[in-house]
Amino acid sequence: MAIVPEFLIKRIYQKGSLKKLENGASIGLKNILGPGLISGFNYVKINDVTFTQENVTFTTNGKEYAGTEVSEDNPVVFRLGQSGVLTMNGQDCVVEGKNTIVIEALNPEAGIVRLNAEDNV
Amino acid sequence: MEISFDKYSLMVDGKRFFIKSGAFHYFRCPGEKIARDRFLKMKAGGYNTVDIYFNWNYHSIKEGEYDFSGIKDVRKVLQAAKDAGLFVIARPGPFINAEVNAGGLPFWLLRKKDVIPRNRIGTEYKYSNEYMKYIAQWYDQIIPIINEFDNVILFQIENEYATDTMEEDYMRELYKMARERGVKCPIFHNDAYFAGLWADCVDIYALDLYPYINPNQNWKQDSYCFDTLDNVEEIFRGAKEDSPAFIAEMQSGWFDKWDGSGYAKMREALSDEHINIMTKTALSQGITLFNHYMTCGGTNWADLACDEVYTSYEFCAPIDEFGLMQSNYFKAKEINYFLDSFDFTMTEPKDFDFYQENIYSKLRHDLTNKCDWLFFRNMNPETTELELPNGKNVKIKPYDMKICPVKLKLKGCEIEFCDVGIFARLRSDKEEAIFFIADKDANIYLSDGRIISGNKKDYEHITFEKDGYRTQFVFLTKQLSDRTWFLKDKIIFNADFVLPNGAIALENSAEIAYFDLKHGFSKKTYVVNKHVNYKPVIAQIDNVEFCSPEIDYGYDYSSWQKITGKTDSLSCGLYDEFVWYKAQIPDNLTDITLSARHLFAVYINGKEVLNRNSYKIEKLQDIPETISIPLDKNILNKSKNELTILVQNLGFDKGFSGDTNNPRGLVSFETTPHTDIEFSVCEKLSLQRLEKHESDNPYLTKITAHFNCDINENEFFAKYISFEDFYCRRATIFLNGVKIGRYIKRTHVQDKFYLINEFLKPHNTLDVIVWEKDRNIKSPWGFKSDIKNVKILIGTQKIYEIFK
Repeated sequence: MAIVPEFLIKRIYQKGSLKKLENGASIGLKNILGPGLISGFNYVKINDVTFTQENVTFTTNGKEYAGTEVSEDNPVVFRLGQSGVLTMNGQDCVVEGKNTIVIEALNPEAGIVRLNAEDNV
Repeated sequence: MEISFDKYSLMVDGKRFFIKSGAFHYFRCPGEKIARDRFLKMKAGGYNTVDIYFNWNYHSIKEGEYDFSGIKDVRKVLQAAKDAGLFVIARPGPFINAEVNAGGLPFWLLRKKDVIPRNRIGTEYKYSNEYMKYIAQWYDQIIPIINEFDNVILFQIENEYATDTMEEDYMRELYKMARERGVKCPIFHNDAYFAGLWADCVDIYALDLYPYINPNQNWKQDSYCFDTLDNVEEIFRGAKEDSPAFIAEMQSGWFDKWDGSGYAKMREALSDEHINIMTKTALSQGITLFNHYMTCGGTNWADLACDEVYTSYEFCAPIDEFGLMQSNYFKAKEINYFLDSFDFTMTEPKDFDFYQENIYSKLRHDLTNKCDWLFFRNMNPETTELELPNGKNVKIKPYDMKICPVKLKLKGCEIEFCDVGIFARLRSDKEEAIFFIADKDANIYLSDGRIISGNKKDYEHITFEKDGYRTQFVFLTKQLSDRTWFLKDKIIFNADFVLPNGAIALENSAEIAYFDLKHGFSKKTYVVNKHVNYKPVIAQIDNVEFCSPEIDYGYDYSSWQKITGKTDSLSCGLYDEFVWYKAQIPDNLTDITLSARHLFAVYINGKEVLNRNSYKIEKLQDIPETISIPLDKNILNKSKNELTILVQNLGFDKGFSGDTNNPRGLVSFETTPHTDIEFSVCEKLSLQRLEKHESDNPYLTKITAHFNCDINENEFFAKYISFEDFYCRRATIFLNGVKIGRYIKRTHVQDKFYLINEFLKPHNTLDVIVWEKDRNIKSPWGFKSDIKNVKILIGTQKIYEIFK
């Protein structure tokens, strides 16, 4: 069970931020929950396409982090009010109209944090 | 008392109060005497309120039965709070978390088929009529008791509650149930997500704030950890405009876990800097109600603990588990005295254009004292000099926070600006004495242009007179200020502590100074005659005996409860830490496969075949373990083979992020080939069941020692038992028959256990039950001959003589 209710986690996703990229996609996140650390990205799933951490990068505060370099020993600081862009590479995944998005990340205190969102393109 | 509020503060009979509360768990500090001791120490430290959880589970062991007698008498606790002059924040749940077993929900309730604890499954809302019915029973018991006390100023429903869809029925019903039962004071809930949750269902919106919950985190390097606190006023105003800003749980420590690093390290990490930053930042955000969680540490004696925490619930609290004041107590005292000296109940934020890296700053206008207060926090690892817009320079130590008055009118002078810390103020109509904490790098700037350096010695003073009014500045070093105690109309210096009735506590002889506005300074010497040797002594071991007859082959268990279905504790209705399982098994088995929580051993025909610690929690979740044990004819060597399993349950889930109903005891059991096994079950160790049986097996051994204890009414003392030199790996400790601790050597988190004063007598019996000895002891289970290796140390933590 997630420690943070789903409706609160959803608020991290910036509605309307889903962008189709060549061979991938990007989405915007904003931490409105509280001070936090991201200690890992398990996967991002957009519609039926799953991106493992090898195919995910997170850009925040002017720095780009490969999904594989984010860990409990090397967490990304994601402060209250801070924004970031999650980029997925390797496969087309965004469709016109409604898209479903699942992000499974790790937090040192809360454990697995799963964000479910929908966005239109 | 009539309690009201507006957007600034709480009011009692129309008078504004700044609520400085501290959390206290009566169930972890058992007995009226301990409650009185802790409450007087809280009051002495400037707290005016005590926050009390009422633990449903603690009072209701069996369905329909409630025990509020003896050490469970909450009336005595509430009376003690009233007698100490403290208001009470009452928090009867029904769910309380508090790292107690099952979050405070009774075990019998968890077994009910139609009860959905907290009306949620996971984070999905599921309303349960049955659950509400039982809450009504609990409220019928506890609310009338709470209502007997007119010093109760706030009442909490539920605890840190949220669901995915946030239906309001449950919270609104709890509110209604409280009102219907006569709760008159404002009702609140504490939002753990600081997201304005339930603000519309309660009178006052409150939240919890714990910036440091990961002991591996260095909060000094992670200045972002205060982000929420630094913006909390905005959260409050967004949630509920017309109620005062209330931090229902404001971090003043944190709990350690079985896999933690021990309280000594956590205390070192937090030191008194953390509570200073937390509390002063809260003031800078307009908070007028705070509750330091915890202010008093406690002990998870008996089966109080949830699975996460060990015996000590020291919590790095200002008053530790032993009742001793720690450095964060003195810091809290300093801030509380300041708040007693200057009414902070009506302030407004004011623009202040200042930026410097890693410096937090905030300006507030004080509508009562008609001045401003400037707040600075330095998160740089070195002393930092600030050049302020008013032309003043302020030096601030690393991880320190200052509150500086601006244009503060006093009776005999006006402070234009001051960065010397104000400790306390004594006042009469025409006179006042302000006590500052000497600081060589700080100054007091008076409006007439004079600058007074903060570089002063103890008791140095300066007097200002204007139009027949007088203000005296008196300086104290930090060391002396810690030993300085503010009573209603006087100040007492150089005492270890002073109780609100003026009783002075001293460890050693000392010259005590007094000050009041009428008589000025006076001195008196107090002589402590008793010289205490704090070196622990080795307890004389009087008896060693094998104490687990249940394991013996042929033990008569015909009176035990027979189980045909599920074998876990809740299904069997057995909630004790220790649960025994016995069964006949056929001799054709090739293996057995089982999962048990948390520690367990398997014995066949009286011989141990496995001893296992299956305790594992990762990412706040139980990690189950299933183990297979191969069997053969050498093990199954009788015509009727007897299986015994002993399971030690370290507690049920506390129900915050996990499920209170996660199974404990023998969770699963299979045989190859499949055979239906009929278990008989029984709880508690034979010592607790008062069963006198000689036993042949050495797997659980009882070591008995006796010791005497001087109990004097004019002394405060705290004693402990130490396992520092103990060779065994696991032990359960009983003081005069009461279980006071669980020792597990592997965890290295606790080897010193509080001998809880409530259970101490002049002549004491200590029973230590050892389950599994250290592998270093060579002789195979020849425990009695190895007794020379076992050392139990008994020591005194502190003794203070109380001069009334």
